Amino acid sequence: MKTCLIVDDSRMIRRVAGRILKDLGFETSEAINGQDALDKCLVDMPHAILVDWAMPVMDGYDFVKQLRLLPGGDKPTVVFCTSVRDVERIVEALAAGADEYIMKPFDSDIIESKFALAGLV
Amino acid sequence: MSAEFEHSASSLAPTYYDALRRLTLELAGVNLGANHAFLIETRLARLARREGFKSLDAMVNELFQTGGSRLAVQVVSALMERDTHFFKDKSSFKRLREVVLPDLHRKRGGGRVRLLSFGCASGQEAYGMAMTVHDMRKQLDGLKIDIVGVDYPSQALDRARAGRYTHFDVQRGLPIKSLIEHFDPVDSDWVIKDHIRNRVEFRDIHLLSKLDSLDQFHAVMFCGSLPHYSAPARVRVLRGLAGLVKEHGYLILGDGEHLNQMNFGFDRVGRETGIYTKREIIIEPEIDPSLKVSNGRTTFEKTKKKRSSLN
Repeated sequence: MKTCLIVDDSRMIRRVAGRILKDLGFETSEAINGQDALDKCLVDMPHAILVDWAMPVMDGYDFVKQLRLLPGGDKPTVVFCTSVRDVERIVEALAAGADEYIMKPFDSDIIESKFALAGLV
Repeated sequence: MSAEFEHSASSLAPTYYDALRRLTLELAGVNLGANHAFLIETRLARLARREGFKSLDAMVNELFQTGGSRLAVQVVSALMERDTHFFKDKSSFKRLREVVLPDLHRKRGGGRVRLLSFGCASGQEAYGMAMTVHDMRKQLDGLKIDIVGVDYPSQALDRARAGRYTHFDVQRGLPIKSLIEHFDPVDSDWVIKDHIRNRVEFRDIHLLSKLDSLDQFHAVMFCGSLPHYSAPARVRVLRGLAGLVKEHGYLILGDGEHLNQMNFGFDRVGRETGIYTKREIIIEPEIDPSLKVSNGRTTFEKTKKKRSSLN
């Protein structure tokens, strides 16, 4: 079963995204910020990561940059899931190593579509 | 008619559902199915509000009492709106990218090519074709490609012409790199950029009518609609499409769609289903009755029309 780490400081978003991803056949785990996510990735690298941008302690952008430097950190497919919709910021996210990008609000169709585009479903 | 729309009166009398289904079948050849009451009400309520009716009932009453053809077309178009998104029929776009466009480039070189999105709804398929062409521009060097999208006059076609899509529209089927390359954010929506928009022209047309005014195309995409047509309408629409595709040109159907027993002058491409080429038309010359040979039989040779159909 494929694994997906959901990184978001909102419990509600983690819960909603988790339910959608379980329906898509993923085993999910959660992190509340970028640092928490990095710690979890060091222990067990997931197949996919759904990550918010604005979070306390470490934001999603810094997390992705550091993730890609970790041993095996090039493997997970990273999908941003954020309210940030400026084109310049989207370009920065892709340059940092994101594979796809979801703009909130999202629904199950959007997550399924984006995960399909990223080759995950 | 009042601008104040009565939401509470947006539920239709049950007898109207059957009448609307019959109207859609007669005008457009499309079976709406039996369990679409909610869909019918939602789509028609939006149209009734836009057309300035006081309620949904008021619009449907006027439709069936006065029999106005403009309103009938608007109603049927609204009922037939499909839930579509960018690159919905993945295998169809794969055929366009891997088979059709390279072949047309090989045959046409620096010429002009016309592509058609038949039943284009809100334009995602036609713009998807334009994005595909744009992404392949180096490979298709020298080929000039025009894309036309046709459908019934409708709010969906208005949206196609505007090239403006919601946050939800652009996140279904469209890779993020394509979004930022081909769209600009405007307010809460995304608007298609000119380098894509300028390749595409939209026309409203009755899809079951005579299609001569469209001229012919080198490839036609007709995806996702065929199963919804009644059997007689399917024959009519495919016969119409056969006239729209140039000899040796392509017909691309949707994922899992294919021509059944009748081929309408198309041949399958290899073993693939869902992609067909238009057969060359062989013109038999008229027989001159004075041309008699000694055995008393009239002879003639079939003359093949020059293979210039793609020129």
